[in-house]
Amino acid sequence: MSRKIGQAVNEFNQQMKPVSLWADAWKRLRRNKMALISLWVVGFYALVALTAPLFPFLDYRTQVIEHANLRPSLQPAGKLVIQKLEAHRAVLQERINEGMDNLKPDLERTEADIQYAKDHLNDPVNKKVYIFGTDNLGRDMLAKTIYGGRISMMVGLIGTLTAVFVGIIVGAVSGYVGGWLDNLLMRFVDIMYSLPYMLIVIILMAMFRKEGQSSIFILFIGIALVSWLTIARVVRGQIISLKNSEFVEAARSMGASTGRVIFRHLLPNTLGVIIVFTSLSLPSFIMNESFLSFLGMGVSAPLSSWGSLVSEGANTMELYPWQLLAPAIEMTVFLFFMNFLGDGLRDALDPQSKNRT
Amino acid sequence: MSRYIIRRFLSLIPTIFVIITLSFFLIRFAPGGPFSSEKNVPEQVIQNLMKKYHMDEPLFKQYLSYMGDILHGDLGPSFRYRDSTVNELIGQSLPNSMLLGTIALVLATVAGIAVGIISALKQNHWQDYTFMSIAVVGISVPLFVVGPILQLVFAMRLHVLPLSGWITGREGIKALIMPAITLSFPYFAYIARLSRASLLEILRSDYVRTARAKGLAERTVITRHVLKGGLLPVVSYLGPAFSGIITGSIVIEQVFAIPGVGRIFVQSALNRDYTLIMGEVIVYSLILVLMNFVVDIVYGFLDPRIAYN
Repeated sequence: MSRKIGQAVNEFNQQMKPVSLWADAWKRLRRNKMALISLWVVGFYALVALTAPLFPFLDYRTQVIEHANLRPSLQPAGKLVIQKLEAHRAVLQERINEGMDNLKPDLERTEADIQYAKDHLNDPVNKKVYIFGTDNLGRDMLAKTIYGGRISMMVGLIGTLTAVFVGIIVGAVSGYVGGWLDNLLMRFVDIMYSLPYMLIVIILMAMFRKEGQSSIFILFIGIALVSWLTIARVVRGQIISLKNSEFVEAARSMGASTGRVIFRHLLPNTLGVIIVFTSLSLPSFIMNESFLSFLGMGVSAPLSSWGSLVSEGANTMELYPWQLLAPAIEMTVFLFFMNFLGDGLRDALDPQSKNRT
Repeated sequence: MSRYIIRRFLSLIPTIFVIITLSFFLIRFAPGGPFSSEKNVPEQVIQNLMKKYHMDEPLFKQYLSYMGDILHGDLGPSFRYRDSTVNELIGQSLPNSMLLGTIALVLATVAGIAVGIISALKQNHWQDYTFMSIAVVGISVPLFVVGPILQLVFAMRLHVLPLSGWITGREGIKALIMPAITLSFPYFAYIARLSRASLLEILRSDYVRTARAKGLAERTVITRHVLKGGLLPVVSYLGPAFSGIITGSIVIEQVFAIPGVGRIFVQSALNRDYTLIMGEVIVYSLILVLMNFVVDIVYGFLDPRIAYN
């Protein structure tokens, strides 16, 4: 009598395995190819960000001044240095042939440098490969962008978590209790909404950060200050539409307390919306943080984020475009797939999308 | 209707009041004053400066007199640019920012709606896929990445557009092209996606089927029935889009060296130029709040289902 669960025996005896909301959503997400790819890409980013300190070759601090401004390449650094010096020598030679004799000492020095680089070609430091190139102090751009991404993702994550935490509590209380409390909280949310948010954060950042000190904490406060507004509204709406339903009445008639009704019965029903909001707001927090860092008001040295790396790169893009492109592309790819993942999750979790094909 | 407009307009006043008050105290409670970054200034000089700008008075008194000045339209003297008043500084830079912002908004709306319509009508064709891929890129790529990359390609490599500057400069109107396109790009992308989604929904609705069943030409169905309802969400997005363009212009003005309000805003925030920051916050929020008001009213005219009670 082996028979698969979920398979009907006949039309009268249908024994179907119940499908939970999550299984259903997962099924729909799996059908969405783009969302699956996004899940893998985002997962890869998260994995790299989490495990980066385990890889000693991802060193974003060591400055190798001879390796400054090397272009991205799969060749070892020593060879690139020689190529660069030889190109420099050719330019000098040409100038000298044109009659600029005062450059002769430079030529000699370059010759010596080339000889030195050739002698030390087999040093371990010259065997390094910089697939994203190096910055003006000879630091590995790959490691820099990975560690920058760590900061950016952390800011995004903390912003989102604060938003979800505060937003759920305010929204749930406001929606469930109703009356004057609801009125008060929602008017407050309305006013906060109409504030020119980025301007306030810029003022906060400019005013409260101390010179030479990392201001990441103020950044968190600034971002958390307004991030919970949307989720509070959404949760409130959900709670209001659910609080008079039968299952809540049943729970209350069995003597459940207000807290129990909210946290055990109402909130789990809004979880889908919350997850969707989270996945869509993460990229926007990252963008906001990078926006501030780009203006020089976000994270400051020695920490760097994608935004501050792009800002640095933009200053040197004429000569060393990879210093702009490496963080820019890495960040864009992440945001791109994060947005796709958010869209996919919304299609999978939004109950209304069940009716759509 | 007119009662609603008046009531809605009056409700702007407390909002603006809260914004001004909040930023005033936020700025005053920050550590370090506007003169703290000047080195080797005798104590007496600092005190005289404080006296000149009434900063030695109790905070609440300063607040009251500031509010009084604002009601007269006087934003006070700048702490940093000693020769100019805040009114002058903003008066010089605001037209530049407004020009850039308006062009970007018009560009984003017109191009976004056009692309949205094409994508909706050609759903699942190559036009749809191409445009929607561009749109997702537009939403994902930050402005401050698009700007420098455009500069890299069009100014530094191809040399067809000026690297930076403003229309008053040597290159004239050409200087406006890159900043306007960069600034409008994310909002273009969002409007394109928004109008596509809402048009698709309307294309499947019963009243469109009825219109087709009546034997109307496809063209009439689209222009008279689909577009009217389908573009409503775009109107309600114009408010947020405008506020985004205002914030975005802060970065754009930085990247392209445009003498606008955004540029002096960042400078004044770093300089702790109290009156200048306040003035800019007030001007920005006035524009924002008024824009949202206009969008609300326009939306009401367009959608008769909205009740005003």
